[in-house]
Amino acid sequence: MNCKEAKALIPEFYDRELNQEISQALGKHLEGCLECQKEYNSFQKIMKVLNKLKTYDLPRDYLKGIKKVKKSNVSLFHKKLSKFIKKND
Amino acid sequence: MKADEFQLIERAKEGDREALNSLFAQEQKSIFNLMVQLTGDPALADDLTQETFLLAYQNLKKFRLHSSFRTWLSKIALNLFRREYRRKPKHVSICLEEIRIPSEKDIPERIVIKREFQWCILHSLQQHVPTKYRMALVLRDLQNLSYREISEILPWSIAKIKTCIHRGRKILRAHFINGKCKAFAEKDYLCICEGILEL
Repeated sequence: MNCKEAKALIPEFYDRELNQEISQALGKHLEGCLECQKEYNSFQKIMKVLNKLKTYDLPRDYLKGIKKVKKSNVSLFHKKLSKFIKKND
Repeated sequence: MKADEFQLIERAKEGDREALNSLFAQEQKSIFNLMVQLTGDPALADDLTQETFLLAYQNLKKFRLHSSFRTWLSKIALNLFRREYRRKPKHVSICLEEIRIPSEKDIPERIVIKREFQWCILHSLQQHVPTKYRMALVLRDLQNLSYREISEILPWSIAKIKTCIHRGRKILRAHFINGKCKAFAEKDYLCICEGILEL
């Protein structure tokens, strides 16, 4: 496996979507290649950044909003989207 | 789909209010957070979440249980998000302060930008990652869905989903590197935040 192939596989390696054979080959390449190790570490950093995004608390209870809305308020877009939902479910 | 979720949906379809409340209550936080991650704007996310649940309520009888309830709700939410971004121009917000970093052995004294970490992630996603890559990245990396589950929400092939996730991550990383974030630039950084200390 060369560096170009290894770098292209890093995201799937991280997602554990590679089969065992390719995963082992990539692991072996990473052990012996400083440049690809650097690429993998940098990739891990961006994933760590994303994992630090906090979970937001709910600003309100959305069930209460449903009770207040009357059927006459349904927009044309909602009607179209309803058709789409039916078609694509 | 879990058996208890299946039963709740069937009961809710027949008009059981308690089942409906229970079904919606367990998904509210997930959908609201999905909307914050996509829009970067809690106020807009609030409106879109309300609209998602309203639409889901109006269309519940049409839900044929071919996917999980969360997947079905996410599909509605993504459609509302796409409509929102077609009709509204992007709003650019700036949130930064300059601070002075004392000199160390290898680094001379310098002025760097300090940003709030949470703001920085949301802003970078919203302003620098194109919509289609952002949708795929958020569903995979922030909502932790599998490629297959994402293909039930976005009308794309698995191959396209993989490509969009990978490009989204690449663009996001490039933004942090080009922005001279300390976590990525090591010595030659221009931007810091409290978040990098925890990485």
